[in-house]
Amino acid sequence: MKEKEFTQILAGDMLATCSAACPVHTDTREYVQRLSRGDYEGALDILLEVNPFPSVCGRICHHPCEAECRRKEIDSAVSLRMLKRFVVENTKEYRLARQKKPAEKKEGTVAIIGSGPSGLTAALDLALSGYRVRVYEKDTKLGGMLAHAIPRYRLPIEALAQDIGDILAAGVEVRTGCEVGKDISFDELRKENNAILIAAGLSESHSLPIPGVDSKGVLLGIPFLWDVANGLRPELGDSVLVVGGGNVAIDMARAAKRLGPSKVYMACLENRQEMPAWKWEIDEAEEEGIEIFNSWGPKAILENKGAVTGIEFKRCTSVFDDQHRFSPKYDESETKSVEVDSVILAIGQRANLDFLAQSPVAVDRGRLQCDRSSMSTSERGVFVCGEVMTGPGSAIAAVGTGHDAAKVISHFLETGETLKLAQRAVTTIGELPSATAALAKKFERVEVSLMDADERIKTFSPIEPGYSESEALAESRRCLACATGAYLKPLAHCAGCLTCVRVCPFGVAQVDKTAVMPAQLCQTCGLCAAECPAAGIALSRFATNGMKDTLRAILSKSDTAKIARPLVVSYCCLNETTSRKFLGAQTDEEIVKTGILRVMIPCVARLSTLDLVSPIELGADKVAVIACAENGCFYTGAEELLGRRVKRVQKFLDEIGVGQQNVQLFKTDSSAEESWPLIWEQFRSTPAQADAQGELLKEGASR
Amino acid sequence: MIVADPKPFGQVKGYLENFDKILVVGCGTCVTVCLSGGEAEVQILASGLRIAFGREGRSKTILEDTVQRQCDEEFILPILDRVANEKIDAVVSLACGVGVNFFADRLGTTPIFPGVNTTFYGAGMEPGLWAEMCAGCGDCMTAHTGGICPVARCSKHLLNGPCGGSEKGKCEVDPANIDCVWQLIYDRLQKLGRLEELQNVLPAKDWRTASDGGVRRSVREHLYRLK
Repeated sequence: MKEKEFTQILAGDMLATCSAACPVHTDTREYVQRLSRGDYEGALDILLEVNPFPSVCGRICHHPCEAECRRKEIDSAVSLRMLKRFVVENTKEYRLARQKKPAEKKEGTVAIIGSGPSGLTAALDLALSGYRVRVYEKDTKLGGMLAHAIPRYRLPIEALAQDIGDILAAGVEVRTGCEVGKDISFDELRKENNAILIAAGLSESHSLPIPGVDSKGVLLGIPFLWDVANGLRPELGDSVLVVGGGNVAIDMARAAKRLGPSKVYMACLENRQEMPAWKWEIDEAEEEGIEIFNSWGPKAILENKGAVTGIEFKRCTSVFDDQHRFSPKYDESETKSVEVDSVILAIGQRANLDFLAQSPVAVDRGRLQCDRSSMSTSERGVFVCGEVMTGPGSAIAAVGTGHDAAKVISHFLETGETLKLAQRAVTTIGELPSATAALAKKFERVEVSLMDADERIKTFSPIEPGYSESEALAESRRCLACATGAYLKPLAHCAGCLTCVRVCPFGVAQVDKTAVMPAQLCQTCGLCAAECPAAGIALSRFATNGMKDTLRAILSKSDTAKIARPLVVSYCCLNETTSRKFLGAQTDEEIVKTGILRVMIPCVARLSTLDLVSPIELGADKVAVIACAENGCFYTGAEELLGRRVKRVQKFLDEIGVGQQNVQLFKTDSSAEESWPLIWEQFRSTPAQADAQGELLKEGASR
Repeated sequence: MIVADPKPFGQVKGYLENFDKILVVGCGTCVTVCLSGGEAEVQILASGLRIAFGREGRSKTILEDTVQRQCDEEFILPILDRVANEKIDAVVSLACGVGVNFFADRLGTTPIFPGVNTTFYGAGMEPGLWAEMCAGCGDCMTAHTGGICPVARCSKHLLNGPCGGSEKGKCEVDPANIDCVWQLIYDRLQKLGRLEELQNVLPAKDWRTASDGGVRRSVREHLYRLK
């Protein structure tokens, strides 16, 4: 994998807030920056570094990264889930090519019960470590709840298949349609393997101890979703009510709506603010015509001759006690009845641990007894991960426990000992202070429109279109690339001159004896580095010295005599590109033929005076600086500073006999793809020779 | 601080026509602050020299360095070593005249040339603008003028101003850019409630503490000539 532009962990074990919020600490900043530079493959490498389910997460992740995105202090969070989806959907061939091959085998076999995200993650890690891993899945398809409980309009099966494809390629063996406890006993598994991992998930729905619950027309949520996901059409009446207020309940209500009933309701104990479902899920459900009754607890299912006719509720006055424990209180005097033909119960899930009944593994009142820090059960060599251990959670959290399980199992197989996982204290760079945020320009988040609600309830087809390339690139550039900004070079001759303070558009740079640009505040515009008279400020995300080296290398390796003249070095604002056309590396032939050498920069205002002069010294004839469209810059004041800097360089080029016309500042007009070739053509056709070449030189020399 | 302006490029280049290996040395203090002789300017000048000589088909080696201060021996010793070891033909100093002199005294047979024109002791008025505030006269008299110096800031250095060229608070020499310092002194003393001090005529200045007294030295006995 390519070296990262910037290490994810900052000084003091600090993470960017997005990465810290992700259960597997995806290096969000790095993949978004790679995407923004057109390196979709590199972005995929970053995603797969910690998450074998990026395709699934690109569709259904609850994106805690976005909730913590510091951009929300300025306008709104970067649409990270959609960017992830864009990456996986645009790197399919590369992904197949980079699939990891089975590792060299070493001693140790592991059986994994369950093929959900946690089990498969552990399986992949262990297989890549060289252990023989066999996953036992009672169903015919792999994926656990991802395959069976998430409606296809949210998660197309192809997305899941993509992720699972990688895992199988790495040599994980699977036994589908093999239910432990029925088709093979737990005892047998123990005899055959050195370690067992229980990743069976919470595959069964809770029922309700209320009158009428056994009536015809009462369905349990998970079996209902299973049927729907497998293309069956569970029998529903014309009006349906889903009991529950979580995300799974929403899935059920929305899936039910697609099966044709004229009315679908939801009812839950929680008030609107307390509902555990994500707000966007609730909104989308309501758009689809689902009516939600808040603060009602089920009292009885009403029936006639054994068939559901409705459901009666009592008012729920509070759901949680003072310690925020689930402890619902009711006002029995206030009731409400709803006439419905079907009731779906989505009030929680539980594990099916029947397969452990004859085993010594301790289960207490339906719960597997385990030590979460070592992921171990009461039996040596029997481990646990995923929702069986944690309770209901997200797919990405399950992936996290899968990684942890692989670690403890590897340790066990190598040493025979239990490994207690250290609690990693994650510190973050903290929120973007409002004073800094207030000085940043607002750029609207690129939103996609879901399919029309009337249309989407007719089908189980995916309802959310992905980003187009230009949308993804535009959105990726909203990323602040937090904490990858300017810093004072260790041996800089900083004179505390205050130039950085004066040009910083965000009030971030300070002088405390020497210049200080706090990483947590810096918005990475690079203006301070460009103007520093001590050349003492470096940019961690985009060092201009690095760029110069690239330029030097290209110019020295190309046979300059063959290059079409005039040779123009074109510094271009990469934020203006809407495709990869100009983002990829140029071949030598292309440079030689076109006479254009592109240097892509996230905002050309960070180019120093020297950056603008150097190409001439290195052998170029002209320097084009192509900035963003008028007023399009992310950074306040950058356009003016750049304009003045270019003027200074023009004057200097006159002085040194090169001619001011050989450095020009241009603005992108509409898109880079349309505008830049015209700029290059025009700029290359203007004469390079200075009219008054040498006159200033002579004048100076005679003084 | 000491303020300096870059010399015209052609002038600097003119000094260097006959030398092949040239070292451009910046200074990390005053001239860095006033954007005329710090490391960035060293890089720009050096690049310009390479380009200009290169375009004449003359291959010269232009080297770069910057020290914390060119006015103390410890800081410039590495440069002196470099000049000797690397057989450098000429040095360009982007420090104020102090740096040029200090080097010249220690450079033996290697010539040194100034890359900036040292202008005045001044302060940063706003980004990109510096103005003269002190003339280094050796006998500060601002105690009598509300802290504002007529020696440095009056175009005529009048000790008992203003003159007839003061109009609407501006100096006739350049009304757009120069305040009449005697107006400033008047306003300041008024604010301080000391206007009556303007009744006292300041005696003619004793310029022996300034350059007229010969080359000046400044001694601190407690450290001077330590064994």
